Amino acid sequence: MAAPVGAEAPAAGPGALWAEVRALLPGTEGEFTLALSGEVDPCVRPLLRRARGLLYGAEGPAGGEAAALRRLGHVLRDYSWEKLNAGPWQEVSKAWRQVYTYGCLFGALAEISAGCPPVSAVRLCDMGLLMGASVLDNVLGRLVRVLQQHLPRERPAGPEPLLQKARPEPRPAPAVRPEEELPRLRCPSLESFRDKHLIPQKPVVLEGIMDHWPCMRKWSVDYICQVAGCRTVPVELGSRYTDEEWSQKLMTVDDFIGQYIVNEKSMGYLAQHQLFDQIPELKEDISIPDYCCLGEGEEEHITINAWFGPEGTISPLHQDPQQNFLAQVFGRKYIRLYSPQDSENLYPHESQILHNTSQVDVENPDLVKFPNFRKAAFQSCVLMPGQVLFIPVKYWHYVRSLDVSFSVSFWWS
Amino acid sequence: AMAAAGSSWLVFGFSTEEAAGEPGPGLGPRRLEPGPGGIRRVWPAWSYVVVETGERAGLELRSAGRRRQLRGWREALPSETHVVLRGAAAARAWRRGAGLRSAAWSRFLPRGPAPSPLPLLPGGFALPRPPFYRALPAGLRARSLALGTEHVLLLGTGGDVHAWGGGRHGQLGHGMLESEAQPRLVEALAGVPMAAVAAGGWHSASVSEAGDLYMWGWNESGQLALPCKALAEERAQGEEAGAGEAGAGEAGAEATTFISIQALPALLDLPQEPEVSGVSCGSRHTAAVTRGGELYTWGWGKYGQLGHGDDASSDCPRRVEHLVAQGLWAEAVVCGPWTTYVCLLGCKGKLC
Repeated sequence: MAAPVGAEAPAAGPGALWAEVRALLPGTEGEFTLALSGEVDPCVRPLLRRARGLLYGAEGPAGGEAAALRRLGHVLRDYSWEKLNAGPWQEVSKAWRQVYTYGCLFGALAEISAGCPPVSAVRLCDMGLLMGASVLDNVLGRLVRVLQQHLPRERPAGPEPLLQKARPEPRPAPAVRPEEELPRLRCPSLESFRDKHLIPQKPVVLEGIMDHWPCMRKWSVDYICQVAGCRTVPVELGSRYTDEEWSQKLMTVDDFIGQYIVNEKSMGYLAQHQLFDQIPELKEDISIPDYCCLGEGEEEHITINAWFGPEGTISPLHQDPQQNFLAQVFGRKYIRLYSPQDSENLYPHESQILHNTSQVDVENPDLVKFPNFRKAAFQSCVLMPGQVLFIPVKYWHYVRSLDVSFSVSFWWS
Repeated sequence: AMAAAGSSWLVFGFSTEEAAGEPGPGLGPRRLEPGPGGIRRVWPAWSYVVVETGERAGLELRSAGRRRQLRGWREALPSETHVVLRGAAAARAWRRGAGLRSAAWSRFLPRGPAPSPLPLLPGGFALPRPPFYRALPAGLRARSLALGTEHVLLLGTGGDVHAWGGGRHGQLGHGMLESEAQPRLVEALAGVPMAAVAAGGWHSASVSEAGDLYMWGWNESGQLALPCKALAEERAQGEEAGAGEAGAGEAGAEATTFISIQALPALLDLPQEPEVSGVSCGSRHTAAVTRGGELYTWGWGKYGQLGHGDDASSDCPRRVEHLVAQGLWAEAVVCGPWTTYVCLLGCKGKLC
């Protein structure tokens, strides 16, 4: 019979962490259901059961079974990874993503029970959070929260701030002519925003609505490093996603900051990532703009993305299928907007995948190749910290960061 | 590939024991235990393998600690959800783990001359999952057919190669990443008669009648033997951690053009010996035998499937030195998803 979870763990040291971690798991093997929301190959269930058996066995994984548990984690992750890559992502069944999550969970538990530093277990949790689907009431999210409290909070650069607050002379922003400048409004009422901007689909810069968000006084490169340094995130490499050499890579926030923000040897951009689902602690520092309630969707269907990168990141001119509030936390961004009515003058890519993206390099257009581009009227702004830009659905937008920048986007319908 | 009597088989990679959650035998090569008539052919799945144990004995399904005779059957097409068997008069599919009583699918076969190998069936081909059978367009005369995870390769009787199915990783060889619903000639290979084709998870290979090897598709683990970025970074990291010669490693990596997806067939040169006689693809690795009886492997190696006695992946072809050291002649090679089965013919250079 299995001993009560965590009963025999010592009070301090690696054993204490193990006890804390085991307390996150169901009390008995029977309650650890291994439920999956669909069918998987019959070879998978025996492996899941075997791994669970090692966790609840008489000796427990700390008693020498950690290596076997680690190996099962590898096999489950590798097997389900091949399923995650079989066919388009939208068609991958949730059950296979859950198997991947179990593989990450067993791997992370093996690391902890063997007394390894928590960093490797955190990485496994993040892999599961990024590619898997939730099991056992989001056990990976709960596990990583516990592990983070046991991590040394070190910064790669030592006691000085990673980044001097501002350059001696910040780069001048591109000149915005008065006739093209986006209108600015200070805290308009819901009705006024609805009637003058949402219904007529007119973009606007909103001021004063995020001043009270804790991120405005808390967030800096150092703070992000402190809260999320050891977390694994997807990073876009290359100047713009339309480039041939553009690629994506998983790396820790520490490595991303060290390689692409502090030293800018090449371009990297933590872009369009749902960081706040992965790290709920950061979500507490932001709010959903009240104007989103004018939409028809539920609040949980609002997609919140983080955009964190050095000076010079470029999002080529493109359109999105939802309304967007782009909130600027630190740094400045130069933004140009084109109405969807001008689409034919913007030369969208022919291919299915890039059909929402213009072929034109907005700030350096090839007018021989794209002569009608000069007919397209635009509005622009330099979005400053504390400002929120309303980008109506399908509105074409081009974004270039002028400083090290952090923005949060809210996609809603 | 059919082995002559008296041949033996070695296995590298993931074991059926580990697939059942039991401790595995480690990274070294294992001998495939022969049946009464030796082992003539093998069809590996992930957690089990079907072997042909000799003319009379028929087939045998081997999983961890279990052997099951499949009398009267001649060929197999195994997967983790179903196993398809073909006999003289019928082809039939069963769901894995449900015993061999009620078949999930069955098709009677006309009497006639010796048929082409599975997955080919008269008029079409078999799949080890529903719908189990697909017709081929009339007029397409097939010599052999290979199934990838999402794609299909067909070798025509004239040495022509056709590819269709999912194409997101370049595995069709048409130069694009689009999918194809119908068989389409791989034009880049037209005019070069092929002798064999092989399909991996997301990559493809073909061997010409002259013994040249062509590869295309996804190079995620170096399975195309083209420079793979992830492997180069791993190597650089290893060097950094080891001797501290990171500078040299990184400089080398900067100069290389890495290939993630190769959407057109690329000719591959093996180091010492140019002529290839057979090729097989695992889910993410590749193995080739040469006319000189040597075995080369490359791609994903985490489970020892490359046969080099370690768990390293490789983006260049490496000769399996174990065979050379033992004086063994590699006659044929068959990859399972995470395994490599090599058929050995006596001893190299002499009869024994």
